[in-house]
Amino acid sequence: MKYRVSNICKSYGDLKVLNNVTIDFPENKTTCILGPSGCGKSTLLNIIAGILDKDSGEIMGFGDETISFVFQEDRLIEWKNVRDNLRLVLKGKMDKKTIEATIDKYLESVNLKEYKNYYPRDLSGGMKQRISILRAFIYPSKVLIMDEPFKSLDINNKRIVMDFLKRLKAMEKRTCVLVTHDVEEAIALADRIVILSDKPSKVKKAMDNLYVYNQSKENEIYMKNEIESVLMD
Amino acid sequence: MKDFTLKDKKLSTISKVVLIGIWIILSAIVQNEVIFPTINSTFKSLVEIVKDPDFINIIVSSLLRSLCGFLISLFLAVFMGILSSVSKLIYNMMIPILGFLSSIPTMAIIILALIWLHNEVVPMFVGFIMVFPILYETVQKGILNVDKKILEMCKLYKVSRETIIRDIYIPSIFINISMVFDSALSTNLKMVIAGEALSQPKFAIGSSLQIEKMYLNTSGVFAWIIIILLISKLLSYIMKVVANFTKVNRWM
Repeated sequence: MKYRVSNICKSYGDLKVLNNVTIDFPENKTTCILGPSGCGKSTLLNIIAGILDKDSGEIMGFGDETISFVFQEDRLIEWKNVRDNLRLVLKGKMDKKTIEATIDKYLESVNLKEYKNYYPRDLSGGMKQRISILRAFIYPSKVLIMDEPFKSLDINNKRIVMDFLKRLKAMEKRTCVLVTHDVEEAIALADRIVILSDKPSKVKKAMDNLYVYNQSKENEIYMKNEIESVLMD
Repeated sequence: MKDFTLKDKKLSTISKVVLIGIWIILSAIVQNEVIFPTINSTFKSLVEIVKDPDFINIIVSSLLRSLCGFLISLFLAVFMGILSSVSKLIYNMMIPILGFLSSIPTMAIIILALIWLHNEVVPMFVGFIMVFPILYETVQKGILNVDKKILEMCKLYKVSRETIIRDIYIPSIFINISMVFDSALSTNLKMVIAGEALSQPKFAIGSSLQIEKMYLNTSGVFAWIIIILLISKLLSYIMKVVANFTKVNRWM
């Protein structure tokens, strides 16, 4: 496996957050890390991203890759319009002409070209998060890390943004790591679901998401029941 | 923020009319041109002042002094604000200076300035000591208040240091300055005029006010006040036009 975290431990003082967490991340697939709120999912994500140091364990593959991110908040710069926000992460990574062509290509492919001159204040929460996701896909990376990207959205916007993400994922192959506490999100987006226990977190179960391969109601219900029984266990 | 405002043009006009009414009533009650001049005599003084061949010279000189002082304050505030944000030493060295400027009575500093400096420079200095601390703190706020989450996003996306400075820190500084620009500019003008009244340079609004006071020509003082008000309004209008033209705050 190219991307793997192995036996990761992390404590904040006396509080042990992660306890020997080992997860494999299949290449070009979406792995969803699911667990109760505050169990240390974001800590694990920050360790993978290199924002946070681990106490022990090993991280394989991620350190050598360029990684893009989608955060809980959109993290758009309010005085820059959509185009300039996208341009910011590409500066220095390619020449000006290529930057403009890349932005145009992506905006066009997701039918957002008309919003290119909009400022964040003119966009709804869902639209801002779509731009944040687009920024992650525009950035030339092989890995995409998402930390509860739908957390601040209402149900309608959540569905729209999830569909938007699916569309982009279908367009481009990326190894995605999605952290969420929402079972529905995990079933809708993940190829593989890893369920963490409460603090100190360890992997309770890792399973392939049958719903992604066959999007039938039965599979959805089966996965939901399976996940909930593991979470409650 | 822009969509919600308490400003009501109608009420503001009524307030202006009420103020003029109070002026008319008070001057009718007092009936003494030296203590409280009438609108008529103030208007006559205003016409005389405007007709004076030195009028333009006086206005231009005061405005130039004000502009020079303001630009020096702005430049130094940006320079020192940036330095103090990157250097703990400079940050801490600036604390007593700012404390001194804010706690010592302005008049004491003006008196020292009158002793030490040329009378053409004193008004600019007076404007500087009032406006520099405001602009300096605004610059610092612009740097220190940059959203840490945005900076983290830039770090994760490997955005270069130059791009972060050019696209995030510098705009943040100027956005913060733009919020106090109007009030800092008018405070500076008021302080420069106060400095002129004390240092008496040859062509100056403050010197003219002082002369009118010496001759007990209160209507002349009122007339100059009206001129200062009009200049302030004009500056404010120019700022708005420039802001609209350059679309500097179009994202707000």
